[in-house]
Amino acid sequence: MGGVAAITARTVDFGASDAPLTPDQFSACNGCLQIPWALSATSIIYNLDGVKNLLKMDGATLAKIFLGEVTQWDDPAIAKLNKGVNLPSTKIAIVHRSDNSGTTYNFTDYLQSVSAEWKSKLGRGVAVNWPVGAGQRGSAGVAAGVSQTPGGIGYVDVAFALKNHLKFLAMKNRSGKYATPGLKGILAAASSDQKPEATTNELSIVNPPKKFPLAYPISTYTYVIVPTKSSKAAELRKFLFWAVTKGQTFGPRLLFQPIPKTVLVVAEKTISKIKS
Amino acid sequence: MSSAELTPEAARRPFSGRRVRFGDLVLQVVAGAAAAGATALVGLITWKVVEGARPALSEYGLAFVTRIAWNPVTDHELYGAGSFLIGTAITSLLALLLAAPLAIGIALYLTELAPRFLRGPVTALVETLAAVPSVVIGLWGILVLGPLLRDHVEPALHSALGFIPLFGAPSQSGSSIFTAIVVLAIMILPIVSSISRELFLGVPPELKEGALALGTTRWEMVRGVMFPYARGGVAAALILGLGRAIGEAIAVTQVIGGGVFIHWNLFSGGDTLASKIAASYQGATSKLQVGSLIYLALILLVFSLVMNFAAQRIVRRVGRSLGQGARA
Repeated sequence: MGGVAAITARTVDFGASDAPLTPDQFSACNGCLQIPWALSATSIIYNLDGVKNLLKMDGATLAKIFLGEVTQWDDPAIAKLNKGVNLPSTKIAIVHRSDNSGTTYNFTDYLQSVSAEWKSKLGRGVAVNWPVGAGQRGSAGVAAGVSQTPGGIGYVDVAFALKNHLKFLAMKNRSGKYATPGLKGILAAASSDQKPEATTNELSIVNPPKKFPLAYPISTYTYVIVPTKSSKAAELRKFLFWAVTKGQTFGPRLLFQPIPKTVLVVAEKTISKIKS
Repeated sequence: MSSAELTPEAARRPFSGRRVRFGDLVLQVVAGAAAAGATALVGLITWKVVEGARPALSEYGLAFVTRIAWNPVTDHELYGAGSFLIGTAITSLLALLLAAPLAIGIALYLTELAPRFLRGPVTALVETLAAVPSVVIGLWGILVLGPLLRDHVEPALHSALGFIPLFGAPSQSGSSIFTAIVVLAIMILPIVSSISRELFLGVPPELKEGALALGTTRWEMVRGVMFPYARGGVAAALILGLGRAIGEAIAVTQVIGGGVFIHWNLFSGGDTLASKIAASYQGATSKLQVGSLIYLALILLVFSLVMNFAAQRIVRRVGRSLGQGARA
């Protein structure tokens, strides 16, 4: 998230952010463009000895866990989703980010879309007023916190979870299927919203509708923030054009998924607005 | 010697040589500029901090200082420093309480009790502790100290002293105010102990030998001669340690667990002024939030200033009572 501050101060030529800019950030950035340029997802990691990877979870229960209402791993709400799994009675220990983070935005954006209580009590943002749990700095901090805590649960971006071989949840989507934060799941989610908002180019693909049975419900676009007026406009346009087209082929290797065509068209149109 | 050199006028200006006066001038200018620069810097920082805090100052006024709230979500925004102010006071004071006897003990051991061959290496090791970067101590806090305190120390304290609200249910993650206190205590330990060691070394040997010659035990000599002699200095060392504990940000953010708290349990999460600023400044999403964070910095500035003045008064009083004691 340092990227937004840096581009606002014009100490860099472009910045990147997982969370779309807030109105205040837009006005502070003074004529910045926001361009969706890659896809990612947030995985929910957990630490439960003797329980296999891809424990099943639905949005309502996950929200209750992070609200502090479901407090044990053998809670009926979790057991119901995992028939045949021997769940321990370990207390659930919540670990969240203490710094501002696009991952937190993606995660809380999802929670508020599946839980009316979450929406009214907490809402979404790069940081929220967590009712329970311990805060850690950065994805590495959250991962360390979860791995040091029996019964721990936390959230990190998917690339981080896979690279560090952490156990993560299979999330139930609106079609009733359990999806994992892999290439297919994220792409299916991405196809659910292909119309960037007119002025901000914002897209929200959390908790997509029923007709996307493969969708992983905690997916997100990630954005590049560029000034409309730049002394290096030509080079910037060239680079960004490459990034949203040919550059996309490098994404999957780094666990960032390529953007769909319709979004690509909007991205290219926005890129052409950069002038010197 | 001619009589001219002894005129009263010449005697009044003994160093009237041109070169000497020029040197004095340079000294005056350089030293004055250094002092003025430092003062101006503090002034500039204060001005900038007040300026930056203005959105929050005009929105909340003084109510901000005591309000226990921190909600950065758009449309729910509400900020207050209450919880962080309490967090800073509790962590820094308890860390000092924990570190002071240990540090003075180390200093005494190194000056009076340790076998001579051990003094060098142990002194060097204790001082190495001061050179460990705080982010490294913080990492060690997450991975080693936190779980250790959670599994062994917190349950023991809870079962023995659980009737005091400070020692509530042990934390689950190992991140807690208590872990932050222990980390801070470790960080201020080397400062206090190495200054105290210097002070103890400075106690005149004839005083110590005199006391021992009068038949005191070693402990009586330490209590009756060394402590009174070094008291003012040790108090000053403790203030330095306290300042470090109040201002430490990174290591605290790593282990304190975060959160706006309205509980007395040391074993659950919290935040200090410095740790909140460090955690939230980067990527703050609204003007009001940035203003509120800088308001926290302003409070931290005032808090440190008040602590410093209070501490200086204590040092002066300790020094004075020592003087009276010596006269009596």
